[in-house]
Amino acid sequence: MSEPVTCPVCGKKAKTGSAIDCARHMFGTGDKVHRAWVEAQGLSFIDLLIEQATTPGNKSYIVLAEVIEKAQDKSRP
Amino acid sequence: MNKYSVINTHVHNVDGIAKVTGRAVYTFDVKLPGMLYGKILRSPHPHAKIVSIDCGKAMEFPGVVGVVTGKDTLGVKQGIWRRYQDLCDEQILPIDKVRYIGEPVAAVAALTEEIAEQALDLIDVHYEVLPSVYEPLDAIKKEAPEIHEGFERNMNVTRHIEWGDVEAAFEEADYIREDWFKCGGQAHMCMETRAAVSSYTPEGKLTVYHSTQSPYYTQGLLAGVLGLKEGHIRVISPYVGGGFGGKFELDGAVFCSAVLSMKLCRPVKIVFTREEDFIATKRRTPMSYYVRTGVKKDGTFCAREAKVFTNGGAYTGMGATALYLTGFFHSFPYRWKGYRYDGYRVYTNTLPSSSMRGFGAPQAMFCSEQQIEWIAADLGLDPIEMRRKNAHYEGYEVPGQATIASCGIDQCFDEIQKWIKEKGPLPSNRSIGISACGFMSGGIFNWFDSPYAFSSAVVTINYDGTVELHVGAQDIGQGSNTTMAIICAEALGVKVEDIKVHSGDTDHCPADLGAWGSRQTLMAGNAVKMAAEDAKKQLLEFAYAQSGSNIIYDLDIKERRVHSIARPERGSDYFDLVKKVLRGKEGQRIVGRGYYTPHRKGMISPAYSYMLQGVEVEIDRETGKIRLIDSLTAHDCGQPINHLGLIGQLEGAFSMAAGYGYLEYMPYEDGKLMNPNLVDYKVIRATEMPKVPVAEIDTYEPAGPYGAKEAGEGLTNPTAAAIGNAIFHAFGVQMKECPIRPEMIVNALKEKKAKEKKGN
Amino acid sequence: MEKQPLKLTVNGREYELYINPKALLVEVIRDHIGLTGTKRGCETVSCGACTVMIDDMAVKSCSILAVQAEGRHVRTAEGLEVNGKLAPIQKAFLDHGSYQCGFCTPGMLMSCEALLKEKPTPTEEEIKEGIEGNICRCTGYNSIVRAVEAVAKGNYKEE
Repeated sequence: MSEPVTCPVCGKKAKTGSAIDCARHMFGTGDKVHRAWVEAQGLSFIDLLIEQATTPGNKSYIVLAEVIEKAQDKSRP
Repeated sequence: MNKYSVINTHVHNVDGIAKVTGRAVYTFDVKLPGMLYGKILRSPHPHAKIVSIDCGKAMEFPGVVGVVTGKDTLGVKQGIWRRYQDLCDEQILPIDKVRYIGEPVAAVAALTEEIAEQALDLIDVHYEVLPSVYEPLDAIKKEAPEIHEGFERNMNVTRHIEWGDVEAAFEEADYIREDWFKCGGQAHMCMETRAAVSSYTPEGKLTVYHSTQSPYYTQGLLAGVLGLKEGHIRVISPYVGGGFGGKFELDGAVFCSAVLSMKLCRPVKIVFTREEDFIATKRRTPMSYYVRTGVKKDGTFCAREAKVFTNGGAYTGMGATALYLTGFFHSFPYRWKGYRYDGYRVYTNTLPSSSMRGFGAPQAMFCSEQQIEWIAADLGLDPIEMRRKNAHYEGYEVPGQATIASCGIDQCFDEIQKWIKEKGPLPSNRSIGISACGFMSGGIFNWFDSPYAFSSAVVTINYDGTVELHVGAQDIGQGSNTTMAIICAEALGVKVEDIKVHSGDTDHCPADLGAWGSRQTLMAGNAVKMAAEDAKKQLLEFAYAQSGSNIIYDLDIKERRVHSIARPERGSDYFDLVKKVLRGKEGQRIVGRGYYTPHRKGMISPAYSYMLQGVEVEIDRETGKIRLIDSLTAHDCGQPINHLGLIGQLEGAFSMAAGYGYLEYMPYEDGKLMNPNLVDYKVIRATEMPKVPVAEIDTYEPAGPYGAKEAGEGLTNPTAAAIGNAIFHAFGVQMKECPIRPEMIVNALKEKKAKEKKGN
Repeated sequence: MEKQPLKLTVNGREYELYINPKALLVEVIRDHIGLTGTKRGCETVSCGACTVMIDDMAVKSCSILAVQAEGRHVRTAEGLEVNGKLAPIQKAFLDHGSYQCGFCTPGMLMSCEALLKEKPTPTEEEIKEGIEGNICRCTGYNSIVRAVEAVAKGNYKEE
């Protein structure tokens, strides 16, 4: 249905190409450029991480996935 | 009936005579002409800035030849995950600050060990002590001191594994349980402590004797930190006195001896004392696990969610791998509709944690297998049958992660059930606990960023039919030299006595990632098989020509006999053939080459071993002391190759795993290890070992040489959980922390009694 | 400290040495005589890697001074074989795979040898007690026990 999501930072298509997989990829890579992008979207990388770590559920990844999804729509013609 | 001539027969370890006659020379024993002895000065602080180091008085001490500090190095931050430069965070001799008690700050080379030791006291280090933090949940707080620049909240690495719709899968569950666990660290406690002899000579070449699991890694990593070409570094790893995952990174011994040698142009030997080995070599990763599991009331597994914090200590090392593998094996060996793992490795000012036999899986199983047992008890289900109905099977795909090409877990359940039934009713102070698990046979990843094939081998046949087998695979006691010789002999069609194994020398042996991650039997074994078959083909080409037989007939070599497969009675002698082939090749020795790198083998490993272990335990209610009485391990490692070696690996793994379960406690106070010696750190002794019989389950793994998979590391995974489950069955108490110490059992029993009283 | 002369008999040979009187027996065996089979694995007399035999008794050679061994018969793992012929305990170790990395092996062999000299037909318990002072990190000990049992059973009787 929709095109695979690519990472707005490094262009990589993470695993199945879903937004959640891309969110996982961003957190997993965690290097300066990926963090910077997350911060630039108005989110706190580390707070999202700590939330994911200390509470049941998938909240942080979902939040980031939604932001990534929106960014894809913006970049598409 | 064994269809092989050499494989799975009773073969003496090829290094046996050297080892039982005291001839085997370890790095610990190496002496070179003009050699100096090195000693390392270590930080007494868990976290401090190095303001200044004054070596003047030490330099003047009679017999001291040289002193080095971080300022004498290139200051390269190195790490074994070379692909991820951010995680290469360790200078070994740091320049700016120290991050754990015991970290090297300076090293002295002198004429004798005694002089070097005395000179350490004369080195004046001015520290500016910084606040420190020791536990992950403290280290991620906003106020916690920053241990590595740029790593906010001391978050070192995170890994996430997920498949299925986890929330929906939890919705399907009739019963959900959540538990928190704390898994301790463990010391490798190799009988040979870290040791290295480095010799730099005016040609600009460095020769290093290193007690290592991977001479190639030592070579590559040293090249990076010393600014030398890999080709100008020779790493010789003679016999190695144990590794267990602690010896394939750069350690203080090899680094400091190399730096000293390069400065002084003399050989320098550094051997760690046992105390140094305890406080300054990376340990098993301590982990805090939160596990939430949902099952149907008939015991079908629906969903699992795990959040794990690992105490990374001061540097990354191989800790990122342990972080990933613990989350992966936490799902083993079961099918989950929805599975989620979030792993977080946190820097703290403690001894760095890295890889140790089991690589995160012993911790994962301690939590998973106990919780599963409790769930079975809560639901009134048979714990073995509940496990069985959810287990992996051949052909199963772990979603997005792995395809299981061979799996004998079902037969494992049969064997353990039989054993328990045969035992019958046990005396009142004894009980049985079980644990299942699975493990990888080498990883598919290449974080070391090696351009070489993961394993390579060269087979050269001499005029007299003897065979030189050059491998990069490193024998650290697990018997890989013997296993490779067996595979070579089988593939070539000769006997083990005909094979001479060359390993442990980067000048003469091909690159190989080394002895870790249970990779060598599968990967180096495949390379050896390929090389031997290449050499055999060259022999048979000539044999075909000479025999003039019809093309429909195939020739082979078995037990030194060249013969037609269809008509084995017609044959000739291997030794004669070799002589003729050599002549035909104008005197060139016959050389076969082989290599192996896993391709398209999933996300983790080409193959998985499976096992189910039962342990019979006797527990003293009053003192909480545990005594291991008996055990049975049903084990699927595909085709066993080295029979004696396999038994040894099984029994040895059990001893180490049992230690993790109830003996090897590493208490830290303010970042300091309280028991860095063999009096207070308890390893299992002969009098405490039960029998460790194995029931071998026959499977065939297509990815492995002759169907073989790993054996020896997977077996380190189940025992802690099995002991915990035995305690649960004896007293109904849940042990959520390992190693399980006597006082923990006593306290648990007290708490249970108090609760019961309250209830009344 | 002033060095002093010392005569040590090791593996049937007399060595004339000149050593610091504080030197431990294990240091003299390894560094002065050059027999590196005997190892060291700790500083607290706990691991047994340094075990040798002194007059048929198993002794941790890191726990005594070299001078204390003067006038006694010291035997190390190198002294088990005679003209290339392996001793029964060594053959048994080979047959049963009673070693892996081999670092504890020389000391372990001497504990086993001393045990068999004292108790030629030990029970399983007695064997385990006999090697309790030797740590092996690789084998889990059971193969070592099996090797000793095989020797005790007479499987390696010399003609």
